[in-house]
Amino acid sequence: MFIAACMTPNPVTIGPDTPVVEAAALLRRHRFRHLPVVDQEERLTGMVTDRDLRSACPSSVLGETEKQRVEEQVRRTLVRAIMSTDFVTLNPESTLDDALLLFGNRNIGALPVVDDAGRVKGIFSLNDMIRAWQRLFGLGERGSVLVAVREEKADDLARLVQLLGEREIPFTRLIRSRREDGAQVIYLRLTTMNLRSVHRLLTRAGLTIQQPSLDG
Amino acid sequence: MPQEIRLTLITDDRYRLHDTGGRDHPESPERMRRIADALAAAFPDSSLERVSPRSASREEVRVFHPDAWLFRFEEEVLFGRTFIDHQDNQVGEETFSVALLAAGAGLTAIDLVETDPDRVVFCLVRPPGHHAEPVRPYGFCFFNNCVIAARYWQQHHGRQRVCVFDFDAHHGNGIQTAFEEDPDVLYISIHEHPSFSYPGTGWAEERGNGPGRGTLLNLPLPPGAGDERILSLLDGPVAALLEAFVPEALVVAAGFDGHYRDDMSGLAYSSSCFREIGRRLGQWSRALCSGRMVSILEGGYHLDSLAESVVAYLTGLQPEQSDTREKTPCSSPPA
Repeated sequence: MFIAACMTPNPVTIGPDTPVVEAAALLRRHRFRHLPVVDQEERLTGMVTDRDLRSACPSSVLGETEKQRVEEQVRRTLVRAIMSTDFVTLNPESTLDDALLLFGNRNIGALPVVDDAGRVKGIFSLNDMIRAWQRLFGLGERGSVLVAVREEKADDLARLVQLLGEREIPFTRLIRSRREDGAQVIYLRLTTMNLRSVHRLLTRAGLTIQQPSLDG
Repeated sequence: MPQEIRLTLITDDRYRLHDTGGRDHPESPERMRRIADALAAAFPDSSLERVSPRSASREEVRVFHPDAWLFRFEEEVLFGRTFIDHQDNQVGEETFSVALLAAGAGLTAIDLVETDPDRVVFCLVRPPGHHAEPVRPYGFCFFNNCVIAARYWQQHHGRQRVCVFDFDAHHGNGIQTAFEEDPDVLYISIHEHPSFSYPGTGWAEERGNGPGRGTLLNLPLPPGAGDERILSLLDGPVAALLEAFVPEALVVAAGFDGHYRDDMSGLAYSSSCFREIGRRLGQWSRALCSGRMVSILEGGYHLDSLAESVVAYLTGLQPEQSDTREKTPCSSPPA
């Protein structure tokens, strides 16, 4: 799945010469945590996060005089002074896998999406990632049920799909996965309530249904 | 020993006319006969009254299902279809009228309970209802019998605060749809966890939306959960919420497919667990809403266990002399 389909398009951006206080107000108002910083051609020049902004503000444990001095300093500070320029980006043709690897390897909460010219096209956050995977896996789809079948013989998967097709039992997702103990399991999201029928069909065909168990 | 058993069964032979195609469809007409036989054997004729339901009117059904669905449902049946949208939802030529009769049973029951709240009333009906959405059938359900009953209670008898309690092994997605934004109707469902069970809804984190926040309680149980798990939920969070909400009436979506012998869910309740569920519901209804409670059959597909469990549940609902001595969260006042 391409990032273009699941990113938040046209995100709010700011210029590098925006005062830090203004950027902080913008984040608070829109309730997000990442702001791409762009030049006049809309090209990405930096990223600023709510954490960067918080660290730029005076600490609450400072004395009054010291606090006022820092506040005055913050008022004069521009975003370019605190933004991070060591950013990682995605492009619209990146895939969910690209994003997953980046999120897994780096401690970041959102990735800017830029085109070949470096212009900001969107932003892809961890929340976008979660939503995309929920959709991909059909989580919360009404009228569905997850069934796990152990893959014990080479043709089990083919037979399983053929059987369901012949009996017109629809499924919307199929995942084949190897568990830590080495067992190969096929997970299917079936759209039927008649599990009795499904169990009988598969068992009679010599397939083994994996019953859910906390032991694995 | 029961003081005086007065059990009213709302049922009709016509419920057997809803044809689900035979073969291996679990929601079979045989379910009606097996339950009726077991009840006749368990309760003496003098204590078991049978009442025929009336059909729900189109207007009464429209409190949840728009005309678009009523027309389509009727039309599909007239065209001689064998199922609607999905093979699960088998229909025969009588299905539309039988479904109206199933929706009407709750209304007949409510009228009876309103005139005589000492009755224990059970609607022995099919097709079931709690998966039905406004314009779509799901999981053997076409009209949402419990939703229609709860709205009837509000609109025709002025009982504004209604609790719908659902112990079917599957989450009642249609009931949640109807009431998740409604602060006047409390929906409590105990079901097998949606990661493992049809219809894949009923997550614990859902607590109602907007003004209905707090009047929805989903209590999913893992596969294999048995009597102890469900009874501790009843005595804990369910009792607490019911006592805080104080309903004026209770509609019970009574499904028996959580039985350990029923292969339509992974839950593992015993038959006597349903007596314990019934006992608690009976006590709550007497203590909180003067006995205004109707139970409507939902699922339950292992025929022997289904019949046995319904008898156990209805036995549990009866007031017992020991009620007054028991230390329970809301035992009924001394007679």
